[in-house]
Amino acid sequence: MLNKRTSVVDRIIINSLSIVSTFEIGDSSQIQAFSRAIALQRERQTFFSNEIRFSDFDIFTEAIPMEPIFENVTFETNSIHPIIKVGFLDITGVSTSSVIHIGNTKNINMESRIKHIRHLHPRN
Amino acid sequence: MNLQIYNEELQVGNMQVEAVSSSSIVLIGDAETIQLSSIFDTPAESLIIGPFVPLNPQG
Repeated sequence: MLNKRTSVVDRIIINSLSIVSTFEIGDSSQIQAFSRAIALQRERQTFFSNEIRFSDFDIFTEAIPMEPIFENVTFETNSIHPIIKVGFLDITGVSTSSVIHIGNTKNINMESRIKHIRHLHPRN
Repeated sequence: MNLQIYNEELQVGNMQVEAVSSSSIVLIGDAETIQLSSIFDTPAESLIIGPFVPLNPQG
């Protein structure tokens, strides 16, 4: 039985919620996020179409060592007063497959990988 | 192992978060399993000084 609670939020300020991010008030059961990115910054604005593929770099193809969780733990929940109260939450930025979640959930599985390449002109 | 959970009230008065990025989570509440991950990686070819021609990285 999913462990349920009621979420009560008084005031929240989120300045920016971008690039596949989620903001949830309330319960959920599965949270799955992913993300990739590469970010190639050049000194001068030159763009070439399909220049880089994720498969070109090992960090995107190698497996992330995330063993599945098998603990023999049995949960027994008795909800006496299952309330979540949030007074004031002030968040400046949420980005790249991130989640703000006020409430219960069951399984969370997220990934990311970034990279960054800077391409400068030779100084002669 | 049998975990007994008694859900009383969970209260957060005031919380200020600067940034939440690259598959991160700010969770106020319970969860059973959490698996996060991240890789940033800036190896040698993270800085290339050369003419602006399409890069063909070896990986």
